[in-house]
Amino acid sequence: MSAQPYDIAWCPGCGNFGIRIALEEALHELAIPAQQIVLTSGIGQGAKMPQYLETNYFNGLHGRSVPLAVGIKLARPDLTVIAVSGDGCIYGEGGNHFLHTIRKNLDITILITNNQVYGLTKGQSSPTTDLSVKNPLTPDGNPNAPLHPLSLALVMGAPFVARGFAREKDHLKEVIMEAIRFRGTAVVDILQPCVTFNKINTYQWYGDRVYQVKPTTDPLEAIRIAEFWEDRIAIGVLFRDETRPTRTPRNLFTRRTTQKDIETLLKRYHD
Amino acid sequence: MTYPILKGETMEFNLKIAGEAGHGLLTIELGITEILARTGYHFFATKNYMSRIRGGHNFHMIRIADEAVHALRGDLWDMLLAFDEESERRHRDTLNPDGILVGRQDMQELKQTLQGKVSEPMAVNTALIGMVLAAIGFEPEFLGQAGLQKNRQAMIEEGFRLAEKKGFLKKHPIEHVSKRFLHFDGNQALALGAILGGCQFMAAYPMTPATSIMNYFANAAQDLPIHFEQAEDEIAAVNMALGASYAGLRAMTASSGGGFDLMTEGLSLAGMTETPLVIMVSQRPGPSTGLPTRTEQGDLNMLIHAGHGEFPRMIFAPGTITEAIEIARNAFELADELQCPILILTDQYLADSVQQLEWQVPVSVNQRVCQPREESYRRYAMTGNGISPLTYPGIGRALIRVDSDEHDEDGRITEDLDLRNRMVEKRMGRWKIMPPLSKKPTFQGDPGAEWVVLSWGSNRQIVEEAIREINKERPFVAALHFSQVFPLFPEMVSEWGLAGKKLVCLENNADGQFAGLLRRDLGLNITCTLLKYNGECFTVQEVCDRILDITEEKS
Repeated sequence: MSAQPYDIAWCPGCGNFGIRIALEEALHELAIPAQQIVLTSGIGQGAKMPQYLETNYFNGLHGRSVPLAVGIKLARPDLTVIAVSGDGCIYGEGGNHFLHTIRKNLDITILITNNQVYGLTKGQSSPTTDLSVKNPLTPDGNPNAPLHPLSLALVMGAPFVARGFAREKDHLKEVIMEAIRFRGTAVVDILQPCVTFNKINTYQWYGDRVYQVKPTTDPLEAIRIAEFWEDRIAIGVLFRDETRPTRTPRNLFTRRTTQKDIETLLKRYHD
Repeated sequence: MTYPILKGETMEFNLKIAGEAGHGLLTIELGITEILARTGYHFFATKNYMSRIRGGHNFHMIRIADEAVHALRGDLWDMLLAFDEESERRHRDTLNPDGILVGRQDMQELKQTLQGKVSEPMAVNTALIGMVLAAIGFEPEFLGQAGLQKNRQAMIEEGFRLAEKKGFLKKHPIEHVSKRFLHFDGNQALALGAILGGCQFMAAYPMTPATSIMNYFANAAQDLPIHFEQAEDEIAAVNMALGASYAGLRAMTASSGGGFDLMTEGLSLAGMTETPLVIMVSQRPGPSTGLPTRTEQGDLNMLIHAGHGEFPRMIFAPGTITEAIEIARNAFELADELQCPILILTDQYLADSVQQLEWQVPVSVNQRVCQPREESYRRYAMTGNGISPLTYPGIGRALIRVDSDEHDEDGRITEDLDLRNRMVEKRMGRWKIMPPLSKKPTFQGDPGAEWVVLSWGSNRQIVEEAIREINKERPFVAALHFSQVFPLFPEMVSEWGLAGKKLVCLENNADGQFAGLLRRDLGLNITCTLLKYNGECFTVQEVCDRILDITEEKS
């Protein structure tokens, strides 16, 4: 998988560049054939990610990358399925899908490029914008408390919860590789500086705070660590529990309904 | 005014079972219809129920006849099982003068008679089944053919004895044909049709009256290579179905109007991405929550216009159980061939009506063609007719890129506006492919008839029976039923010379939505509409009366 001369639509310096490289390298090192990988995304700057990678993709509606990924995985458990979209897309518009997909625990990876702001629509508050931050539609300051995505994922029972930082590409690559390898739903929230609309949570701001952690199997401990924010921010795999049952759909693609199946239905329900 | 229906040679028996939710009315209906189906009696059954699990007032109706019946007659009833005071009060006056009333007092008696004999709590209801069968002259020795459990059969026989004691044994004899028919309700027929069409994936969120389509899939999935996923909401359902279709399985979702409202952005996504998708919409009266358990045909305009932007679609509305199976089966072929949404409109009336199938169900299953493609594959390659070859991830060297944004032939975002023009024309090219794939309406009656009653969807057999009745006296009315309701092409109706006829459009809504469409897209001059929107289906009697009133008035 090599980088192509795409006309990349992100602002120069966007955190998404680092995430793209980490994801590309992770897929390359995992040596999964591009044909076996499907990326799904919604709408937003982060959702453009699949455009700039050499895999299959379904770039769908705002907020709906996750149910698309669920449908694909249920139909084709043989494929590696990764949803990648921003905080507005996955935590806001698609918040309900985020909650309920974690409950399913299918073997999919959810990558959230979290810049704490709406980029594509020019700087409005997102679900992860801090309280009181002034943005175009909240000129008096954001009146809403921010969503804590990792704590939420942990409370919902997510078996793999991680955080990465766009600038620490090698570390992020390792986290993404571990997330894809994990058999179950892996949630990776990625700190992604928005150089145009978020003047608070900059490369410098995150850089001063991030420190690497090793995974725990205690969800309460993981929540405690995930909640560090003002002074220090943990990155890495925070929580990993392989004992949680994973749903393993049947591979239906290689089996088709037969005449005998129909005869069974007619006898059972209609005779 | 009320016109008498000509009974002719046909013998029939109309039964109403009324009471609260929780009295076991459905169990009685199913018990009776199961035995009738297995012993070769013709019947039609439907229900009128409230949106509650216990209490309220519900009634189930079964029409038993010595020839095929596919609608409610709508005049007087031959037998009433009334479980409470309200049921007696509401329905006693609709009984024939020689009709049989089994009321609360009879049920008390029944309970006492059965006390000690059997322990099963459903004893009374099962004995009532026996009383109904006794009234139509069902011979107890046929019970063997129904394959019943021993003590269930014993209780039914108890019902026969009680009927004899009450003096209505063989009071309304119906002949049976000794031929076993398969029976379906409308939603079962749609679900089976989908499975025959090769559908292997359904995601949906429960909503009356579409839920029984989901039940069928969920049950079938236990043994068949089919997946049913209960989604967190309808938005997820439609997106899951699109994901599954993209990944290689024929896929569908279903809901009622309110749930479909939530799916409309997904419908637009199917249009933009050219992803094959089938959606079944089972209508109930709206707007909003409306009457959740009643019937209406109020969502036609919504389906025609649903989803932002412009993209082709086809909408079907089956009028019979056979059509429901065939249309659902063919929908998946069309979805793959046209790579656009195929919508099927049904309603609570058809969904909840149990009917017999006088038709051999084809048991062969259609399958999606899965051809691997080379690296040079482009999902949106320009072709002569706008349809690009489909393939699926992981089965060849091709990469499949699909985008909700305007895209180039590779499926990558573009803002090249010349390419935009070509992509719009590619998608819209489907309208030109549709005419030869379209399903012509069904004409019934004399092509020279002065009047034609136009209908669509579930009203087909009600209208057909009414027309047969009316024409016995004076043959001047024909019927034309549409099971493809959109798009409408002039060649679909050209052979019937409708321009020179008086046209009545009959539908279950207040706005005459289909009449409007016939005017707009076929330029037909609709003389008048015959509408009903109280939440109940039409009956044969009612349609006869209203057609005769209209034709007298406008002649």
